[in-house]
Amino acid sequence: MRRRLPYGTQELAVLTILLVVLASASPAAAQGKPIRIGEINSYSGLATVYTFPYKEGLLMAAKEINDAGGVLGRPIEFIFRDDKLKPDEAVKAARELVGQEKVDFLAGCISSGVGLAISAYAKEAKTLYFATHCQTSRLTWDDGHKYVAHTTNNVNQYVRALAKKAATLPYKKWAHISPDYEYGHNVWEEFIAYLRQLKPDVQVMQENWPKLGETDHSSYVTALLQSNAEAFISSVWGAQEIAFVKQARPFGLLDKVKFISASVGNPDELEPLGKEAPLGAITPGFAWYDEGMQKRHPKLAEWVKKYEVRTKKDPTLGASWGYASAYIIVEAIKRAKSAETDKVISALGEGYEMEFPWGKVIMRGCDMQAIPPQWVGTVKMNAQGKPVLSDIEETHGKDVIRSCDEVAKIRAVAAEKKK
Amino acid sequence: MSGLSVGMLLFLVSVGMSLIFGVTRIVNLAHGAFYMVGAYLMVTLVEFLPDRPWAFWLALLLAPVGVAVLGGVIEVGLLRLIYRRDPLMQLILTFGLILVIGTLVLLVWGPDNKSVPRPEALAGSVKIFGQPFPSYYVLVLVLAPLVAVALWLLFYRTRWGMLVRAATVDREMLGALGVNVAALYTQVFVFGSWLAGFGGALAAPTVAVALGMDGDVLTTAFVVVVIGGLGSFAGSFIGALLVGLLQSFGILIFPAVSIVLLFALMAVVLIVRPWGLFGRPEA
Amino acid sequence: MSPRSWLAFVVVALAVAPLVLPSFFLQLLTEIAIVGLFATAFNLLMGFGGMVSFGHAAYFALGAYTAALLVKRVGVPLLAALPAAPLVAAAGALLFGFFIVRLSHTYFAMLSLAFAQIVFTVIFKWKALTGGDDGLLDVWPPSLLKSPAAYYYFTLIIVGLCILALHAIVDSPFGYALKAVRENPRRARYIGIDVRRHQLAAFVISGAFSGVAGGLFAFYNGSVFPDFAYFTKSFEPLVVALLGGVQSFFGPLAGAFGFKILEWMISRQWPVYWPLFLGAIVVVVIVVLPSGFVGLVGGRRWRRRPAAKA
Repeated sequence: MRRRLPYGTQELAVLTILLVVLASASPAAAQGKPIRIGEINSYSGLATVYTFPYKEGLLMAAKEINDAGGVLGRPIEFIFRDDKLKPDEAVKAARELVGQEKVDFLAGCISSGVGLAISAYAKEAKTLYFATHCQTSRLTWDDGHKYVAHTTNNVNQYVRALAKKAATLPYKKWAHISPDYEYGHNVWEEFIAYLRQLKPDVQVMQENWPKLGETDHSSYVTALLQSNAEAFISSVWGAQEIAFVKQARPFGLLDKVKFISASVGNPDELEPLGKEAPLGAITPGFAWYDEGMQKRHPKLAEWVKKYEVRTKKDPTLGASWGYASAYIIVEAIKRAKSAETDKVISALGEGYEMEFPWGKVIMRGCDMQAIPPQWVGTVKMNAQGKPVLSDIEETHGKDVIRSCDEVAKIRAVAAEKKK
Repeated sequence: MSGLSVGMLLFLVSVGMSLIFGVTRIVNLAHGAFYMVGAYLMVTLVEFLPDRPWAFWLALLLAPVGVAVLGGVIEVGLLRLIYRRDPLMQLILTFGLILVIGTLVLLVWGPDNKSVPRPEALAGSVKIFGQPFPSYYVLVLVLAPLVAVALWLLFYRTRWGMLVRAATVDREMLGALGVNVAALYTQVFVFGSWLAGFGGALAAPTVAVALGMDGDVLTTAFVVVVIGGLGSFAGSFIGALLVGLLQSFGILIFPAVSIVLLFALMAVVLIVRPWGLFGRPEA
Repeated sequence: MSPRSWLAFVVVALAVAPLVLPSFFLQLLTEIAIVGLFATAFNLLMGFGGMVSFGHAAYFALGAYTAALLVKRVGVPLLAALPAAPLVAAAGALLFGFFIVRLSHTYFAMLSLAFAQIVFTVIFKWKALTGGDDGLLDVWPPSLLKSPAAYYYFTLIIVGLCILALHAIVDSPFGYALKAVRENPRRARYIGIDVRRHQLAAFVISGAFSGVAGGLFAFYNGSVFPDFAYFTKSFEPLVVALLGGVQSFFGPLAGAFGFKILEWMISRQWPVYWPLFLGAIVVVVIVVLPSGFVGLVGGRRWRRRPAAKA
């Protein structure tokens, strides 16, 4: 017996759907006073654990800036789009933001592929793009051009800072486990190159390249145990690193071989791990709660408080990047005394420095790359039984980052390859 | 060895999917989402319950029930409306469900990664052939086959199981014989969902509980079901074992192509056996 | 309105669009045309051939990468590179299709998926050739075609020609033989139709036109990435064709239009929770519209009877 829908139901349903969506669609904002920045990032799916706090940091800064009168007497406004973690969706969103919404600047990205795609579009559309969250060094180096500025850390800096610390440890035999994609290769190559520079007698015992998103690492754990390495570095991140650590524990890997990680110190990994956290692991991280950090940076506690009041959660590294990015963008506009693209690019090209609650961030003119402070700490259990980073050692990105000359060479080589 | 455990967890998810397909002919793409909900429910239950040894086991018992309820609601409220439709439409509908359930998980549990700690007693390792082997995996290696045996008994030694098997062969005849096929469909879907939820809850302490875990498990389970042959119980078991072992050993033998090993295996199986290992040609 | 006047209305509207619409909408229409071509090519296989593929992204990606690599690495002009796209895609379809058409239903779909994942892996890992997951950047059309309106017209012309070709194929003796094979392969064999040969031919044609879509997309997007071959891309033509209506030749085009507009409106309205709304709408559409969007417009000649169920 077939169920027949009453005549006309189909048409009615479709019409209703269309009306609901149309009615809630906001009209394209008229061009006017606010300085509008189109922000494209991954707001759905698994990246949200990073982008939600980042967005909060960004909006917190925007509110402060606007409450203080905005920039050049104009408020700044962010318009958000989701890139669905796909580079072509990001390009589509960029097109809409520039062509339809008529934004003054583009911003955003967490996935490096997306960042590069937006950057390529920005170059074409002659719109200035501030990469605010993704970390590939290619953005401002190999694939750099005048329409892209990088307002956060890049892989080169924080991996070198980590390698610098690793060089002080008494280990000569190293192995690694890195996800088999651009970021993983990037991190390992930067790490081992810099480590070798500082400590030439380092030996690579084993390389492990699980696929990105691997769920079972047991074979890699056993391999590492059999590798005779004294220490290993992991650039596996996020949920994958949580799984890796949980799977490594019963094998005792982390007790037998020193664990260095590019990201396990971040709260998105440490917190869920809880009592299964890898104690003694050496890793970078934004340890705003650390006494030493707060002594060195007296304004930090206040900033954290503000963030907690706003979001009812603790800040993450991403939140600090969002916050800093908004201010860096605004500073460039201030110095240019205009929101016109070419003038802002010139202002960026001259470079400047800014003080944040966590230290000084340099915007370097030769490549429009931000250089923040770098922290490396050790995972320990605090008095409340929660894992935290402690014994934080702080250096500054400027002490490790590639020089302007090196960057120029990289760009020349990349340009040759593209011919 | 851990490949076996991984395979066993995979079996729990795959057999549910295979079962649902066998009876209702629906490829339930939302099965991965059920697994994910099972894992997330486990997180909440473990957090909620007092920190006692029995809490983990209670959570393991309750989490799949939640998923079963979800499955029941979806079957009665939604799937019943489309059983007569083109199977492709049904497929797209279950795909739409993935988006809905995934976002609901984000709304309820938030974007943060979560984890279920292994119970104290099973946090360490035991020595097998002189090599350390995680104790929790021993649990999986014990529980999952027990479930498999229980399932086998259910399907081959009970009346309900006989009805289910009959439905996979000829639904219309079954209906003509006076069996309430609609109720059977609901029961099968609920049971399949329960299996997925149980797989998710049991697997939770071995992985991270995070958004996106439904996609990974769905693809792998689907491949297992196809390799084994749609609708075949033995197929799901053997297929799951094969895939579990492949994941463990394959990465040692072919490290460069670990991303594609799963699909390469499926391609090889399908080229040699077009209906999967134990599948039957579609009527 | 009769289906024929709908068609006329659409053609005229598309022709005058650049005079009326801002450039972003032209770009959206360009994308819709490309997706529509991809879905129509896909539907040749699904709706008319009765074979569902989960791996068509492979041919799309082969087309995109071929065109992009020829222009970037070899320096071939766009107009010469674009025809190469369907050739390479067809070659891939021939190679894989040979194995795939021996299977049916879900197994057919899954083997096609497996081959697509193999293509993805090759693109992903062969960094020296394809750039790996960094992708190939700065893949733009020559300055003549660069403006949104120019590329829009260019795409419309190419897509239009392909649609006409596909329509001719569907309406030819080959097309009818294909439909016969879909309805009852055994009977088709008895009247002398070489079933496997027809299915493979359909597979290759479908793959070739998917390659054209991929090539067009590469220059529309400005960059190509391995995820063009990933299985999630394979679901787009499937969803689009189903929502639009697989029983009709123009169903996939209607689906492309409806789905892309819907997706865009939903994404910009709810940048974070859009999957919830999109999923809910898909579910509602499936339940309420058995013939897809095109069913709203009125039947087309090729509405088929529902296939006999097992």
